[in-house]
Parts: sequence; C-alpha cells; structure tokens
Amino acid sequence: MELTPKAKKTMVTAALIGPAAIWLFVFMVLPFFAILVFSVGERAPAGGYQPAFTFDQFANLGARAAAFVNTLTLAPIGAIACLLIAYPLAYYLAVKVDPRRRLLLVSLVVVPFWTSMLVRTYSWMYLLGARGIPHVLELIGIENVRLINTPGAVLLGIVYGYLPLMILPIFVSLEKLDRRLLEASADLGAKPISTFFNITLPLSLPGVMTGVALVTILLLGEYLIPQLLGGGKVFFIGNALVDLFLQSRNWPLGSAIAVTLVIVVVAVLLISMRIAWRFAGTRQIDLV
Amino acid sequence: MTKPYRDNLPISADGFMDQFMRLKRGSVSRRHFLGVTGLGLATAVFGRFPGAGQRAYAAGDLGTQMSIATWPNYHDPATFENFKAATGVAVEVNVFGSNEEMLAKMQAGATGWSLFVPTNYTISTYSQLGLIDELDLSQVPNFDPATQSARFTSEGKVDGKTYALPKNWGTTGFCVNTAKLKTPMQSWKDFFEVAQTEADGRAMVHDYQLTTIGSALVSLGFSFNSIKPEELAKAEELLIKVKPHLFAINSDYQPSMRSTDAWLTMCWTNDGAQLNRDMPELAYILGKDGGEIWTDFYAIPKSAPNKPAGYALLNYLMDPQNAVKEHIANGAPTTDSRVIALLPAEITSNKIVYPDEASLTPLEFGAAVTLTDPGRAELMARFKSA
Amino acid sequence: MTSASTHNIEFRSVSKTYGSVTAVSDISINVPKGAFMALLGPSGCGKTTCLRMIGGFEQPTSGDVLIDGRMMNGVPAYRRPVNMVFQQYALFPHFNVEENVSYGLQQIRPKLANAEIARRAGEALEMVRLGGFGKRRIHEMSGGQQQRVALARAIVNRPSVLLLDEPLAALDKKLRSAMQFELQTLQRELGITFVLVTHDQEEALSMSDFVCVMNAGTIRQIGRPEEIYDHPGEFFVADFVGKTNRIEGTLEPGGKVVRMADGGALAIVARPGVEPGPVVVALRPEAIRLEHRPARMGEITGVITHRVFLGSTAEYSVAAPGIGDVLVTADHKTMTESDLIEPGATVTLAFDPAAAHVFRGTANQVTTR
Repeated sequence: MELTPKAKKTMVTAALIGPAAIWLFVFMVLPFFAILVFSVGERAPAGGYQPAFTFDQFANLGARAAAFVNTLTLAPIGAIACLLIAYPLAYYLAVKVDPRRRLLLVSLVVVPFWTSMLVRTYSWMYLLGARGIPHVLELIGIENVRLINTPGAVLLGIVYGYLPLMILPIFVSLEKLDRRLLEASADLGAKPISTFFNITLPLSLPGVMTGVALVTILLLGEYLIPQLLGGGKVFFIGNALVDLFLQSRNWPLGSAIAVTLVIVVVAVLLISMRIAWRFAGTRQIDLV
Repeated sequence: MTKPYRDNLPISADGFMDQFMRLKRGSVSRRHFLGVTGLGLATAVFGRFPGAGQRAYAAGDLGTQMSIATWPNYHDPATFENFKAATGVAVEVNVFGSNEEMLAKMQAGATGWSLFVPTNYTISTYSQLGLIDELDLSQVPNFDPATQSARFTSEGKVDGKTYALPKNWGTTGFCVNTAKLKTPMQSWKDFFEVAQTEADGRAMVHDYQLTTIGSALVSLGFSFNSIKPEELAKAEELLIKVKPHLFAINSDYQPSMRSTDAWLTMCWTNDGAQLNRDMPELAYILGKDGGEIWTDFYAIPKSAPNKPAGYALLNYLMDPQNAVKEHIANGAPTTDSRVIALLPAEITSNKIVYPDEASLTPLEFGAAVTLTDPGRAELMARFKSA
Repeated sequence: MTSASTHNIEFRSVSKTYGSVTAVSDISINVPKGAFMALLGPSGCGKTTCLRMIGGFEQPTSGDVLIDGRMMNGVPAYRRPVNMVFQQYALFPHFNVEENVSYGLQQIRPKLANAEIARRAGEALEMVRLGGFGKRRIHEMSGGQQQRVALARAIVNRPSVLLLDEPLAALDKKLRSAMQFELQTLQRELGITFVLVTHDQEEALSMSDFVCVMNAGTIRQIGRPEEIYDHPGEFFVADFVGKTNRIEGTLEPGGKVVRMADGGALAIVARPGVEPGPVVVALRPEAIRLEHRPARMGEITGVITHRVFLGSTAEYSVAAPGIGDVLVTADHKTMTESDLIEPGATVTLAFDPAAAHVFRGTANQVTTR
C-alpha cells in the first residue's frame, strides 16, 4: 500500500524525534512525576516514603534554608568567576588568534573533558593537599599552609571544572560576530574600547548568557567539588538531597527540595534567556 | 559517609589512590591492588570459564555471579578469587559509606545483592521492615554458635530467630598523629578540645550521625545513643562550635591522615590498625569516657537474586581457614574463637585490634533507635549546613 | 602641501600585499574635493582594498594615503574624517534605526547634548526620507530601507569623504535605479566626496563624475564616464565597460587597414602611435549598422544567426567569416518594420572606421578576465 505524502512526513518526524522522546519520557518525565508524588507524601517511621497528600514538606523547606542560601550564593559566584576568566580567553581565541591555529587551541580547551571529572578533582585534592603545593611552599620556608578544604579550593575546583563550558558558547558567539560591525563602529569614530562595550559585548551576550545559565544550572546541582575540595563542611542543595535520600531517608522532604530546585533552574533559564534576547535584539538564541 | 557517586564502584576513588600509594610503597602485592580496586574483579569476571570449580561449599545451582554490599578496605580480595575458584561464582563487590545508605538502597527496592554487611544496631530494623530473611542455618554448616562470643553476636538474633551471622567486631575511637599533636589525649572530651586548639583546621569527624553525634554526647557525659532532646541540643551546640575548626566532615579519613593534611580523626578499629601499621606515629585511642563498640554481620536480603550463592559465600566465610585471612587483611577483631586460634600472635597481641577488657567497659553498642530517629538526622543536617 | 586644497584623497605609489599576494600595486590617484568617483573592476582587482585603505581598515604596505592633505598612514579608522556604507550595510542588529544613525554622534568628544544628537540624527533620517522610522528595529526594515539607514548613519557625522562599498548590490533592479538617482542627488546636496566601489559598469557610468577602471591591482584608466566608454585606453577597458566585439588581425602600415587571418580587410582609423603589427580591434555593437547591400572595401559580411528583441533595441548575432560571432545592437527608432532582419539573411556590417578602437597586442596578451 502506498503511503500518502502526509503520512510519510508524519512517520519521518516520528522516527526522528521518537527515540529522544521515549528516552526523555522514561528517564525524565516519569521520574519527575514520581518525585512530585513523593513530595506530597510523608516520611515513614523507619525512613523512606509513605503515601499521603500534604504540603508539609514544602512548608518545611526552611529546614534546609542554609543549603539553598549556600547554593544560590555559590552558583552565581562560581559562574561569574568562570565568566571573568573565560571571556578574555574566548575573545582571544575568536578574535585575536591566527585562524590557522584556532582549531588546535580551541581543542585544547576541551582536552580536560577527556578524563573524568572525578579523577581531575582528585588530582586537585593531592595538589592542594599537604604533599602538593604546601609541600613545595615548605621547601621555601613557608610552613603549615592549608589549601585543601577551604572556600578558595572549592572556587578553584569549580572554575577549573566548568571553565570549558563557559568558554565554548562565548567563543562561538564571538566567532560568528560579523567583523564588519566592528569596522562600522570604528568607522563611525568609536575607539576600540567603546566598540567592545557597544557592539562586541552586547552581541556576544547570547553566548555569555548560555555559558552563565549552563554553569549556574550545573552548579545548582553540584555536589562533588564542595565535598572533595571543601571537606564536606559546606552544605549545598546537592548535599542536602544526598543526605535526605541516603542518610536521614526523608524522601518526601528530599523530593520537595528537588522539585523546588527544578523550579529554580527553570527560572534561571528563563531570566538569562530574557536578558540575552533583550540585548541581542532577537529571539533567535543559540543554546549551543 | 555520603558518597553516592561511588555506589557501584568496587572501590572508592580515595581507596584507589590509597591502594595505589601502598602499591608504590610495596606494602601490598600487585594482586592485592588489583583485587581491591576492582581491576582484579574485572579480570575475575571475564577470566571465568564454565564448568570450573568443585562446588565444595554448597549443593544446588549457584549460577556464575553474585554481588555483595560491604565496606571499603574490608575484605581480603583473595577471598573472592578463591571462592570463585572453588565454586565458579564471581563476586561483584559494592562498597558503602554508611548503614543509612545501605538501608536507603534496600528500602528503594531491589538491590541485586545476595549478601551484605550491616552493623549490629540496624538488624532489628531490617527484619521489622521485612527486608531480610531469617537465615537457614542448615545451609551454613561452617558456622558454630558454640565458638562465638555472645557479647558480640546477640544482635544477629531477633525474637530468637537468627537473621545475621557475625563478620567481626570493632570499636570507634580516634586516630592521632603524635608527630604533630603533643597534647596527650584520652577521652572524647580531649578530642573536641584539641580539635579547637592544637589541631585547629586539622581534625576530622565522620559524615555519619551515629558516631559524630554519639561521640559529642559522650564528651558531654551523656549516652552515646541518647535521643533526649535536651542532651541532643547540647551536643549540637558543641558540634556547631567545633565546626569552624574542622578540617573536614568526612568518613573517608585515611587519605587525609596519610598525607598529613589531617592530624586527628574519628576512626574505626580496622582503619586505625591499618594506619598504625603503615605510619607508626598514627596512634589509635579509645575514649575513656565512652564511645562505640560494634559488630558487623552478614545478612541475606529478602530480594537477593542469587540466594544459593549468597549462602555459599556466607558458608565459605564462616570457615575459620578463610575467615582468618579476612581478619589479617582488614585488621578488625574476630568473634570466633576458632579464628583467634589461627591468627598470628602479632595480631592477637595488637592492642588496637584486641584492646584490654578495661578499655572496652565504657563503650556502648549503637542502639536501633538512632538509625530511624528523625531528631538525630535533622541535627546532623543542621550541623553540616551550619 | 599643494594637494591640501584641491585634492580630497591622494594615493602616492600605494601598494598592498598579503604575504606573497599583491592586492594593489603602485597606485597613484588624486580625487578632487566634491567629486563622485567610482572604482570599477572585476572582483579581485584591488578596488575594495583601495577603499579599505581610505577607510583605515587596511594600511598600505608601501606608499602614502592622504586625506585632505593629511598623511593617513597608521591612522586608525576611528580617527579618519571618512565614513563608509558597508556592503550589506553592517547595521547594528541590537540597536533600532535611530540608535544606529546616532551612533557616530555618540562617539564625538566632548559629548554632544542628547537633544543635539537627536536633532542631527533626525535630520539625517529626513534626508534619506526615513523620518518617523527611528524607533523601528533593523530587522523590521526592508532591504531598501536598510540601505538608506546605512546611508544616514554614514553621513550623520558630515564626513569629508563618503565611501560606498557595492551599496546597491543587494537591491533589485528597479530599486537600484531609484537609489542611483537618490545617491547622486544626495551627493550634490552634501557636496562631499563620494568614492563608490562597484563591479557594475552601468552603475559606475551612470552615477559618477570619474571612473577609475582597475584590473589585477593596477589602474587601467581614469576618466569621465563618456571618455572611458568612447575612448577606452586599452582593450580590457573597452571590453569591461560596455559590450564590445573583439576582432584580431594585423595592422598594416598607414594605420587604415587591419588584415584578418583569412585575408579579409577591415577599414579602421588607428590612433597615432599604434605600430603596424598584431592588433586587437574593439568595435561596439551599437557602432555597427546592418545593411542589405554588397560589402565595400574594408567592410565585412555575415549571416544573421540570432535575433533578440529587447524593446527599444534589438540584438543580432552575426556569423562573419574570419571573425566569428559579431554582436550588433540596432536602435528601433531608426528602423522601420521592414528593417527588421530575419535570421538567415546575409548582411553587410557597416561602421565608421573612426569608431573602431585598435589596440596593440594579440588575444594572448590582452586578458579580459
């Protein structure tokens, strides 16, 4: 039997998006639904979940207020720290570097991703630990310096781990920036610094916001780096979730926090996209 | 300890580096290194061929694979290789950081484990929740109740039924780097004082409510197992006061103690024995004011996918000839007099592993209620988020 | 400096190379104040490089560029008294029309008052007939409107020179003619120098006072449009500017006859200085008349192969022995119905010998690109 063109088109569409849709449904939508159900339940006497319909867990979010405050402080600070380091580098790669060497240099940015984040973070543990940099400092007479398990170590780990995620979208937006716009600006009398702030920066904002949103969102769920480089002394939402699911076993409260986190993530995304749209004067935003 | 990213790793990354360092120092054989890190496990699983093994430890079809949930650095890897050689069953090892974490996994549903290693105070909860089966002792002929010390094994029974058989016992004290810290310490009171003074920025407590809250309670003169709100409030006050001075809240303290980033930590017997063996300046001390004494057991989950293999491995481990190697490897004391007879003298005379009876007297076994008490769980969360 | 008063732009032996590639080779030009000059040539001829050296986006490898008598070597674009209308306009997409136009005014130091900026930007927009469009976003404007925004943005700072880089290339034919007219008007109103880069010879001829024909990094001819068209200095210019027929042969002594390969003769008038020997003759299609009569001495005959009706004119393709296809344009007004000649007819190609341009060289030496 011959298929009508319309039926064919529908089938092609289904074949293209089907696998992703099924994957997302089974591994994203269903679990999220489960979390939603859990979040209106109650903690069983021995821990875990028992069915109920109550918003007590959401009312009790204040019990983990510190985790929210810590996370909502760290995530933007980490993202801004990444941004401050990533932007000049991305600018150099996209604008200043010899195009023949650009591909090589951009690949080098991605190289750290070839090893696991865990291994790289452990390397930092040893570098910052007593046998690493402090040992070198001892040799030149500076004794008992502690670098590991400090806020600085956590920030370093975050910048180190997330820098490529910030560099790449900014690089892309700067690279596709029409050079004639910069010439037009210079032509109209704008000094290089003025051209940068009037033209380059606003037009690379979609990349900046993509990077900031990406890093912020990942940082909102970050758990490993503060745990390993911060000594577990600082409590983030990620730590709170681990604790509530695996230690205190208060799954309903954990689910309520997870739901809240998802809402925060969506809000961050919307806000950053809105800012990018406004500055770029277009709704065609590239989330790379 | 909260490290879920390691759930299905045969060994923690810390453990890996630690073993790697030991390998470089030559204190363990390459075979041990591969075994502990799971690289040996992969070899074991893939090196298997059908029909091998004599099935000497049990009757019936054991299959070719099973998995066990246990603690880091807790077994002689040769044990699993020998078991595989004897039965044809390859053992996958999952390590955990806390009893709470094990319980959470069991509560969440099927775990795939056919044997696991819970601590004494959790067994009654597991049986109440119907997560473990009463053991069929006829399948464990190597176990002999007559040679066991009842002091350590009684919690394996609930209402007269045996749910778990002992692996080893141990204590929770603290480990001090005596090269760095000169203040003599004898009690948990000393521990918390030094942590805020001489060991400022260098002390670790467990990421584990039982021992961290328990030890704080003990240092204030209360019971290790207290759930009285006013006593817990005092413990919380102490912990929050100490927190800014801590190096870390982490149950994985061996790497930091070995690297001398940390100079003082809460510590379990077996880790204490291992640390002291490799670095004699690391002393292990039991609180004169109290602390924990514990027994780890073997139990079989109700959901075990391969019970015959679980029983076979349990029976294999109850064989004193096999158990003795486990004790030599992990440094924890045995509950079985048959094993004590086989242990070398330098182990039985090691005061870290087998302390004087007098130093055990003030210690308490953990109480079941601490596992499920929401007050202690919330206190721990407040301490960590403070 | 003698050039200061009369010459707006001056190139003195300017060369520009990129590695081993020469883009512009030893060029000297003087552009008088208030002139409308077109740089015309095929792509890659160096015309855009010249424009960019005036704008300050490129620096010459050797030689000097002067604007209003001031040496510009090393002076960055933002310090030059010139403004440019970019190819495809290069409007700032994140600004609206008014913000685009006032951008240049915003850069002036000391800062202009906001009211002054608004007034001048409004004037510029009025000038390009876009009053009232100030708040529009760029992507809401049509191609022709964008082109006028670009124009307003470039003239708002009252530059000494306005540079236009293929400004009409993106517009359709009708809009293009309208804009050509507007640009001329604007230039007269403003009285400033316009330098236009184009590859479209019609555009160059119709708008500019001077045309500078370039090829392979060199200037081939500078002159008024009529001069360039009627008196091309070399075959390349004749061929690139307008349509032309190419006839190869040998110039006989006396300069009146070109002997073709098949022995046929062509009556021409060679300019003095063209030596006897191999030559190329350029003959405009409109310089030829098709006549129903036997050929006289120095004329050629051919058979009509195609006829294309173009409205006011018609184009004929004539196969002439010894030459090949010859293109002839006939003006309809001068023809009656019966004069329309059907393909297949044999005709004589008549032309004024003075209308044929004779250049030294062979086909191998004169490249038309």
